[in-house]
Amino acid sequence: MWRQQRSVHLSVRPSRGLVDEKVAILVQSAPPGARITLCAFHRCEDRHGWEAFAHYLTDAAGSLNVSRDPSLGGTYSGVEQMGLFWSIRPVPGSHPGLRLRKKNVQTPMEFTISVYQDHFTDFTDQVPLASQTVERWYMAPGVLRTPIKDHELTATLFLPTGPGPFPAILDLWGGGGQLVEYRAALLASHGFATLALDYMTPKITVETGKMVDNTYFERAFTFLQQHPGVLAERVAMLGLSFGVCVTLKMAAYSHVVKPRCAVCISGSHVQPVDGTMADILSYFDRNGHKIQLNDENQAILRNLLLPIPTDPAFKVDVGRVQCPLLVVAGEDDQNWPAAESAQDMKEMMERAGNAHLLTVLSYPNAGHLLEPPYSPHTRASSFRSVGSREKITALWGGHCAAHSLAQEDAWKKTLDFLRHHLYS
Amino acid sequence: MQSRTSTSPAPVLTVTPARGLVDDPICIKAGFMPPNHPVTLCAQMRSENGDLWEAFGHYNTSADGTVNLARDHSVGGSYLGCEPMGLFWALQPGPGERDGLRLRKKNVKIPLIVDISLLEGHVTPRERENSELAVATTERWYMAPGVQRIDIRQNGVVGTLFLPPGPGRFPAVLDLWGMGGGLVEYRSSLAASRGFASFSIAYMEHKDLTVQLDIDSSDKAINILREHPQICGDRIGIIGLCYGVYLTLRTATLSDVNVRRTVVYSIPYLKVWKLLLELAKSNMYMNIENLACPLLYILGEDDQNFPSTENANLIEDILKTAGKSHLYTCLSYPGAGHLIEPPYTPHSRMSVWRIKPEKMLALWGGHTAPHAAAQEDAWKEILKFLDKNLRAKLIS
Repeated sequence: MWRQQRSVHLSVRPSRGLVDEKVAILVQSAPPGARITLCAFHRCEDRHGWEAFAHYLTDAAGSLNVSRDPSLGGTYSGVEQMGLFWSIRPVPGSHPGLRLRKKNVQTPMEFTISVYQDHFTDFTDQVPLASQTVERWYMAPGVLRTPIKDHELTATLFLPTGPGPFPAILDLWGGGGQLVEYRAALLASHGFATLALDYMTPKITVETGKMVDNTYFERAFTFLQQHPGVLAERVAMLGLSFGVCVTLKMAAYSHVVKPRCAVCISGSHVQPVDGTMADILSYFDRNGHKIQLNDENQAILRNLLLPIPTDPAFKVDVGRVQCPLLVVAGEDDQNWPAAESAQDMKEMMERAGNAHLLTVLSYPNAGHLLEPPYSPHTRASSFRSVGSREKITALWGGHCAAHSLAQEDAWKKTLDFLRHHLYS
Repeated sequence: MQSRTSTSPAPVLTVTPARGLVDDPICIKAGFMPPNHPVTLCAQMRSENGDLWEAFGHYNTSADGTVNLARDHSVGGSYLGCEPMGLFWALQPGPGERDGLRLRKKNVKIPLIVDISLLEGHVTPRERENSELAVATTERWYMAPGVQRIDIRQNGVVGTLFLPPGPGRFPAVLDLWGMGGGLVEYRSSLAASRGFASFSIAYMEHKDLTVQLDIDSSDKAINILREHPQICGDRIGIIGLCYGVYLTLRTATLSDVNVRRTVVYSIPYLKVWKLLLELAKSNMYMNIENLACPLLYILGEDDQNFPSTENANLIEDILKTAGKSHLYTCLSYPGAGHLIEPPYTPHSRMSVWRIKPEKMLALWGGHTAPHAAAQEDAWKEILKFLDKNLRAKLIS
């Protein structure tokens, strides 16, 4: 064992960064050609353990550079600078169906990166040669987080630091509901005033039992426009999953909501036109018999909207959209038929003559949950949609490495798209 | 938040990393501005004592409406030329602040917050409020995540030990400061953030000290390090500045103390040197020729505290005579003063030494730009020297 004679040095830089920033991991002063294992460990807010690992060989100088050297196996393989982050998964023995989602965006996620002598897969009772702690933040210093108390909205506003004025984004998640803040905090860290909006389980729905209607979104959009730190004519919408239903409906039909541009991730234009939220949910319910279960009892929901209807009463007329539109789809999305919908939208817009507004990013082997980069891939997890009463295991789809590559590429292109249309 | 009637968004200012260690260089860029347009980049920070420090540089945007401090030249302000970190090392107390200030972080567990602003036109920080276009907040940390800070009160030694994250065992450095008194932790916490267990000790003006200026304090501190279960007892070095140099050389040259490596910076303050010469005449004579480990000697050629070059030459001659030249390396920085601190630390040409019985200012020397360059280079060389001598395989 060479561990006693050496002082192996592990460096992970930067040690504090935003979740979408890359880190450089170096190991030095190990013997040349030595077998080592790199491991990342994170304990999430719900106290579950998450880990990733990879097997390496040091070079002739006894060094390892994760940006340059290939992993020979583990939770990822090949040259993957950020593999230790995106390939984390619940530790063996964990509760099934977990998904990693940060609730408190004002504190960082802490990862412990360790290097071990030799190649192995079970870290119980193993003592590392060296460890480093890394903080990964959703919020840059100076970003201001303000829960919205009035305007009958359940929302949180994230403002970049400085005098502004800033372009803004209305940020919408999907059918799981709750007020999910992390993507909005990250967008604000990139210079966009961003409003995270709960529209599935807002206070008003919890109190009255009624789902919100279109005026709720109009109020949210107008709230942003009228904010003194925001440029009224540069407000965009960004939606994922069910959030795409809302975004496309507003962009195509609303007289009040006129987004400067829109981003639609993992969603579809299929919905009863002129329907309320409740109407859209019952349309899904009516197709409930199309839900399939795979061998592992995971629910595949994509068929609820397939085949893509030809009847225009059941699809948003995207030919009416007048703003630039970025549509992002994973081709292995098992929850929504995002790729098929993107294709159909493209055809509709070509016929209507506004296809020049559309950009489609379609990723082979990527699934439904296209999150900020380096987020772990979740192929399936426990899910209870607001429309249904039962908890299921939803199959989201995607294969880890391809999905992670898609997240990284899509995020970069999404930020470029937003900067181009909101800042130029 | 000021209301604007503008139809264009504010320019975008990015500072990466936004949360860095104080020795991490930062990339400052701004975009979405008109081309060939005058702008000012300004840094402002409040120290723990509440003093305002500021620096600024005048720039002209490029043809694509951007500014990049790694590429562009400051044409006026606190510094000139292409200086990516100028906004940090050129920080000076704002007009109207107290004189004789020196920036020294006391609480290393929380960062310094520095606001970087982009201002319209070539202006000074006084005009910030009326000309501010964008702001980025950056945190500058002296401690990496996972570094442990441990109070040590043992055998009459008063100190703070910083351990890097991980199981160890770690190479270690004893961190010795000058006659300023108290317990100075910031260089130690930074060394621990770079992988070395690091131990700062106090030798005067600390409430827990029972003996002031105990000449054996550094030897006792080395023994504490040696006995620590997470430290490699045979991989210990010493860093000393000012009076700390005397202790470093003394410890490194006593035959019963086996120190692996030493780094010294600068050299003692005149008054203290005289005191040391007195001590030396009595029973504290130092035999430089007994040095048994590599020595890195760092000095600023504009050090106003002591004729530093002569002292370095004296040590070099003694070692040459003893056949130990191979142990000695000297880094001599033109234009640098006495206080060679971690990189990007603002330069203090002079500062308050004491207030009672009368106010006394010490002249440290150095000129801002070459002093800053010296700090940056010296720290890199120190870390390389420590890496080479404390981490590499033991040569038997």
